[in-house]
Amino acid sequence: MEYVVGLDIGSSFSKAVILGDGSLLAYGVSPTSGNFSTAADLVLGKAIQKAKLSMADLTLIGACGLGVPFISRPFTKIAELSCHSRGAHYFMPTVRTLIEVGNQSTRVMKTTSKGKVTDYVVSDKCAVGSGRILQIIAKVLKVDIEQLGQLSEKSTGPAKFTTNCAVFLETEAISRIAEGTPKEDIIAGLHRTLASKIGAIIHRLKIEADCMMTGGAALDGGLVAMMEKEIGQSIRVPEQPLITGAIGAALIASEKAAS
Amino acid sequence: MRDVLANSSLSFEEIDYIVATGYGRINVPFADQQVTEIKCHMRGVHSLFPNVRTIIDIGGQDSKGIKVKDGRLVDFIMNDKCAAGTGRFFEVIADVLGVKLEEIGQRSLLSEHPANISNLCTVFAEQEALMRLSEGTSVEDILAGIHKANACRIYTMVARIKIEKDVAITGGGAMNIGLVKALERKIGFPVVVAPEPLITGALGAALIAGETAAALGPRKLEGMKEKRRLEAVTFFDQESKPEHGKWH
Repeated sequence: MEYVVGLDIGSSFSKAVILGDGSLLAYGVSPTSGNFSTAADLVLGKAIQKAKLSMADLTLIGACGLGVPFISRPFTKIAELSCHSRGAHYFMPTVRTLIEVGNQSTRVMKTTSKGKVTDYVVSDKCAVGSGRILQIIAKVLKVDIEQLGQLSEKSTGPAKFTTNCAVFLETEAISRIAEGTPKEDIIAGLHRTLASKIGAIIHRLKIEADCMMTGGAALDGGLVAMMEKEIGQSIRVPEQPLITGAIGAALIASEKAAS
Repeated sequence: MRDVLANSSLSFEEIDYIVATGYGRINVPFADQQVTEIKCHMRGVHSLFPNVRTIIDIGGQDSKGIKVKDGRLVDFIMNDKCAAGTGRFFEVIADVLGVKLEEIGQRSLLSEHPANISNLCTVFAEQEALMRLSEGTSVEDILAGIHKANACRIYTMVARIKIEKDVAITGGGAMNIGLVKALERKIGFPVVVAPEPLITGALGAALIAGETAAALGPRKLEGMKEKRRLEAVTFFDQESKPEHGKWH
């Protein structure tokens, strides 16, 4: 069997997958914590362990993400957008619109039935268009980032925010806490602000069904629900939305090697 | 208010007329009139530097460009949507680099090779600064890069109302020598900075108050003072100890 690795070394999380003859065998996810090189080694080790393989069994590594230049093993670099769209296609071949909300950017891609990108928009200038703001607010509210979605769904009246800047949003959230606004409402309000900002990015493309959302922010069910309202489409989230880029990297690398 | 009365050995009753300005101007119960900070800034700067045509006010939460002709407002532009180009940006960066806010300007001037800071979003720039730091870039070079990027942002905004000589910088940002120098480089000629750049708005408010008081005449003023005294008494009673931040 041919074992191919896909690595996606992001600014917040590092992801590794191992494919055996084109199907997912194992994956690992771990925080990048500022050191790309160590994070890449660590997450690859995790995936290898889960797959019960050793380094010598691996034939090829395909990689993408911000930390690519720091990977210490030989690898094939794959364009990021191609990786994401290909990975989304692996999970669901009917995807035509992919919304990837990561730590530093939001990317919206239109994809074909073969998982190729035909058009895209990237927003990486402002933290409110990215998943980064979720981390900031979770910290301010002292809640686990994983709980944001559940808390948001319990809100009866989302708090109103007057700003679109992550820094000022943080300040406003603190004022709301001081005024006694329940944190459920603060989170729901934040999700609404973020959804409308991401919605504005999405609407720059003519989107088609099916829609899929990936990246760390897709783990936040509250945000996904607000996004569905915002764009008027149902949004699918794969079971593990963080690893689509890594899967795509592995698939494309092995195709490149075969040709 | 209490501080300034103590410093000038005046009593509240001796004050003829009070104009409040700034974000909190509507929360000053004993003020006779509220005037926008743009008008007050303009007036304050005009009294110090009559030749100023362009005022760049860099506050803690916003930055403004004000265009003046013969002491009158001609044009105006403002950024209060985004922390970039405001004092807030510098607070965040000073904090992450572990440098005192008062020192960042001076230290940025020691840089010989300003770092390239490509992000203007405060949140991303904070991460970028940390990354440069871990790569071994000196704090001075990072600060110089940060100042350059923000000067660029502020310049681009103010340039939309056409920058004309003389240019004055006011607000907390004017106390940051690194930012003033970076802006001068961008604008292409020297700018003027008031000796106390934080109080130009208040100075303008006082000048406007003086004019209004003169126009009203002593009899009307007496009546107003009586009304104000009642409000002030309740206010001073409630706030027997002024808390930090109450007087902005």
